[in-house]
Amino acid sequence: MLAGFLFLAALFIGGGAFTVGASAGRFLPSARDIILAGGFTALSIMMLVVGFPTVIATMFVGRDLLQLVVAPVRPVEIFLSRVLLAMTANIFISGILLMATLGVGVGSSAPLIFYPLAVLLLALQVLVVTSLQTILMSFVLRWVPARLARDVAAAVAGLAGAGFYLAWNLSLSQSFTSSSHPDLANLTAVIERAEWLPSAWPGHALSGVIAGDPSSAVTWLVFTLAQAGVLIGVAAVMYERTMLAGLGVFGGPQALWKRSSANKVPSVAKTGTASPARAIARKDWLGYRRDIRRLSRLLPALLFPVGYAVAFLRPARDGRGFWTEVFLVGLITMFLSSTLGTPSIPSERRGFQLLRMAPLTMWQVLRAKVMLTLIPVVVFALLFSVVIAAATGSRIGQFVELAVLVVWLCTGFVSIGVAAGGIDPHFESADDRRSVGVIGTLAGIAAAIGFGLLSVAALAAFVYGIAAAQGTARLIVVPSTPTVGVVMVGGGLLLAAGAGAVVVTMMVIANSRLRRYEGAIAE
Amino acid sequence: MDNGGQIAVEAKSLVKRYGVLTAVDGVSFQISRGEIVGFLGANGAGKTTTLRMLCGLVSPTSGAALIDGIDIFREPLPAKAKLGYLDEEPFVHPHLTGREFLNFIADLYRMPRGPERQQRMERLLGLFELADRNGELIGAYSHGMRQKIGLASLLIREPSVLLLDEPTNGLDPRSARLVKDLLEELAARGTAVLLSTHILEVAQALCHRVAIIDHGKIVATGTMEELRAQTGSEKASLEDLFLKLTAGPESKELIDRLLAPDL
Repeated sequence: MLAGFLFLAALFIGGGAFTVGASAGRFLPSARDIILAGGFTALSIMMLVVGFPTVIATMFVGRDLLQLVVAPVRPVEIFLSRVLLAMTANIFISGILLMATLGVGVGSSAPLIFYPLAVLLLALQVLVVTSLQTILMSFVLRWVPARLARDVAAAVAGLAGAGFYLAWNLSLSQSFTSSSHPDLANLTAVIERAEWLPSAWPGHALSGVIAGDPSSAVTWLVFTLAQAGVLIGVAAVMYERTMLAGLGVFGGPQALWKRSSANKVPSVAKTGTASPARAIARKDWLGYRRDIRRLSRLLPALLFPVGYAVAFLRPARDGRGFWTEVFLVGLITMFLSSTLGTPSIPSERRGFQLLRMAPLTMWQVLRAKVMLTLIPVVVFALLFSVVIAAATGSRIGQFVELAVLVVWLCTGFVSIGVAAGGIDPHFESADDRRSVGVIGTLAGIAAAIGFGLLSVAALAAFVYGIAAAQGTARLIVVPSTPTVGVVMVGGGLLLAAGAGAVVVTMMVIANSRLRRYEGAIAE
Repeated sequence: MDNGGQIAVEAKSLVKRYGVLTAVDGVSFQISRGEIVGFLGANGAGKTTTLRMLCGLVSPTSGAALIDGIDIFREPLPAKAKLGYLDEEPFVHPHLTGREFLNFIADLYRMPRGPERQQRMERLLGLFELADRNGELIGAYSHGMRQKIGLASLLIREPSVLLLDEPTNGLDPRSARLVKDLLEELAARGTAVLLSTHILEVAQALCHRVAIIDHGKIVATGTMEELRAQTGSEKASLEDLFLKLTAGPESKELIDRLLAPDL
């Protein structure tokens, strides 16, 4: 099923890129050179940013490198074998440009030589970028430990990927709503300024082939091959030197980092009452702050709800605007609570053993995790509510209602998220995003939807009930009387109690499952 | 339960089954205060599972584990407060410094903050030669240093019972000697120690008694003299006794087979 989905996605994306390329080749003949040169440059930048973690992990951090280095294998052979592996992420990215380039060829009725040359130049570009990444890392590793560099690169790549995706979606949404046409003049000017870059040379060569200009095509081809030869050669030499210098997987400049941090004064309070909950919270906070790998997975996930919320936000000043705000706030708190709360128990990993052996109840652990997660979620959601209320011109009364709802929703969603992680934790998982099993995930989703719907229904009952009691409600069939108002508020209380019961049930199940948990910690 | 205040650890017919596999099969023994008991067995004999049942990490299929007379599964909190367990690969949070980790553990066990706790922490860090690693994250520690900080995290809260799974694993000779001296000193002050180890010389030199487990069952317990009497080997070393009690194919025979010319 997954393979089928991936095939369909590849067909959709590849087909789209091919169509765009073919249209450009057919209808924009004067811009073919700019399109091809710009495409190769954009691809190179994207590969450089997104493919870095794979290159670092494959060429400098993989434990199997130790076996290769001690085996009777020449360094250049290690370089070649690793570089092919390291190219995988970049090859995947380049597939889109390949389809677009072939499309340009078809649209321009290019000669047959264009197509194999396009494939060859693209493969060479992938190799060149991977070599460039290897050269850069060979320098960086002299000052930065390989694993730290990989984690930072993953964080940058994650944010860049999320940023690209968000920008793409927002620009799509803008093109559907705006009546104005996109202005390509600025983009073309930027590409023209960058056409001398070596990354653009393969594009010029292909453009020469389409234009039937052999001297231009051969010249750019020779430049491209020469720069590729130089970069690959330098990368092979630098890689060998890096290995011989004992960097990367063999250790690296950790001693230098140790010394720089050695003078820090421990920031632990010297007096006061010991609190296990505070200790767990402090440990988690330090872990988040210092574990770039976890941050790199968290930040892109946080970027999405914010981006989408901003995209959905439309000025609304009538009564219905308030419910749009409720929807947005509900969405944001649910996303944030799920992202931060769900992995909070499984992220203990084997450290859960320490909590189980300590004289603590699992209730205390759950409470500590909820409290720690609740603070940033409430702060962020309240800030977001202020922004929304200001943007939509809400009245103070409506903002107060929204703020109360935010605190209620945050408490419920965070508790449900933490409990979902406690119901089905995968302590052995090294990745927070896969640290909760199917049962926990489904239970979390079902409970979050139930709690959210009951809470919003309760709010509606309160708002319209009070209005009915004051005789100002515009209820379609029901009369707006004090009795109806009291009944509606009573119904609202029942709905709120139901929402609370969903949360309590999840916490009780999580507590019971954690008390009996033996899985990964007993291995 | 009243045990006269002398029995610190008691395993009562502990059984642990994983499906059809019986990892621990009716293990019973007692450890008195101030006693060091060696817990010996081949790989997969059931040592670690027994230790994890004794410290409340794994619940037994049947039987009971008592710490100072308190059933650890019925009253876990008071029992755990008296207990210190060191796993054979102790988990230490890699993103904390040594001091932060010790403070974290001390807070989990509600040790009052203040100069006394601070001094104890500094003494332990000094003892294990970790004091000059201030500011360095545990993730950058060597295996032996992690073992040391794991031990320090037990000792900072002075538990009356220590359950140690290969505590000298990965330690340099000097640190291993330090740990042995420390355990003797702690036992002299009344701490009960159950020591699981593969290093039989350590067990022979350090332990007052040994318990040997094989295929989930205790096959022998007692002092060296008692074990020698049980096996009828008057001058046997602990290694000889262990091999005799957990009889398998003779190693010489296996080596001969491995190095046979036709292989």
